Amino acid sequence: MNMHRGVGLAAFDKEQLSKRFAELSSELSKTQVDNLQSQLTQFRTALSHFAATHRDSIRSDPAFRHAFQQMCSSIGVDPLAGPRKGGWWAEMLGMGDWQHELGVQIVDVCVSTRERNGGVIEMGELVRMVSKLRGVESGVITEEDVIRSIKTLQPLGAGYEVLDVGGGKKMVRSVVKELDADQAVILAEAQVEGGWIVEAILENRRGWTGERARAALENMLLRDGLCWLDSQDEHYGQAYWIPSAMRWDE
Amino acid sequence: MALSTHTTPSGFLLPSIHSAPPFFTEQPNQSTHAHLTEKWMRLILAYARHKRLFVLRVEDAEVPGGEWDEILRNERINRRILPPYLSSLMAIMVAKNLAVYEPSKQTRAVLLYWRLPEEWADVLHSWATATGQLNTILTFYEISDPPIQSPLSGIPIPLLRRAITILSRSNRAQIIGVADGEGVRFFVG
Repeated sequence: MNMHRGVGLAAFDKEQLSKRFAELSSELSKTQVDNLQSQLTQFRTALSHFAATHRDSIRSDPAFRHAFQQMCSSIGVDPLAGPRKGGWWAEMLGMGDWQHELGVQIVDVCVSTRERNGGVIEMGELVRMVSKLRGVESGVITEEDVIRSIKTLQPLGAGYEVLDVGGGKKMVRSVVKELDADQAVILAEAQVEGGWIVEAILENRRGWTGERARAALENMLLRDGLCWLDSQDEHYGQAYWIPSAMRWDE
Repeated sequence: MALSTHTTPSGFLLPSIHSAPPFFTEQPNQSTHAHLTEKWMRLILAYARHKRLFVLRVEDAEVPGGEWDEILRNERINRRILPPYLSSLMAIMVAKNLAVYEPSKQTRAVLLYWRLPEEWADVLHSWATATGQLNTILTFYEISDPPIQSPLSGIPIPLLRRAITILSRSNRAQIIGVADGEGVRFFVG
């Protein structure tokens, strides 16, 4: 069995089990196969029981939820996988609703901030705003929860995607237009300066030519609506500000 | 380095976007322009309501020290809205019926409708009724500058006249010529 790729717990269905063991039996003795089968059944029962007992904790405590996830993936079980819709989460924990609700709220925040940031939002801000929507304190909904939820949004084809822009920062893109590589670099540099960016930074820190920097910034400004212009910048006259890289206290 | 709200000396709460330097630049991207302009218009009307300011002039962006400094300038980030942008905002507000050029046939000053003339008409009539001044003749001056602060205090005469005209259409007021100006008589509504 491939231990690197997560296998849905549903794969341990009885029919599947029989089939799998039929394949294995030629290699292992019958005793070994019987042992394995009974242990796996026991394991499945135990895991289901555990999940049912701790359902509330898994829902409400992010540290516990994280540990549970870690445990699942370390034994090669991906709660999102499986033939049933929503995967094992939905089946065992009734987490399908929770997951779905979170997905809806993520879309809500992305759509409502799109005018301001052009469809790209910083992960921290997204987590903060979703937490606010749910009326929970920070820490209850984690970045991990949001990333997992965004994975389930992908079939929507609406372009929801998590982008790693370096420096430990992630952005969530919610518009169909993809960020090109230059834009990703600009986002990363803007993060460092709290949203502010000028051609000089790209030339000095990234070795870009003036034309390349100017073209990339002008496209973000005029064509894509991903940044704003400041024509009163003290040193450079014109500077660009990227709202998704700016930190807002609402 | 978070952008936060800020309360002005006059007690007005500025939104966090007012702390963003680019907010003070007229944006070239159309949808960004629409988005930020919408915020400016709301801000201007809210501030006008807060300080009971009725008139906004391009001059307020040209010369410091006026009544609008708390909004049109942000000393903390060394930014101010430039006259061309303010002029553009005024034009958009007029187009959306949130303001009128007053006097007409010029574009340097607007009368702001943080309350529509129709709403002013109701406020005016309620005030006349509540203060027992129905059927008496009042001068415009007595209404806009009463001895005791009233909901109509400071209302510019052109706006007062508009409100009275609205009332006259439903027979709740009648404009009367008086010795040194204009007067009005209110009737039961």
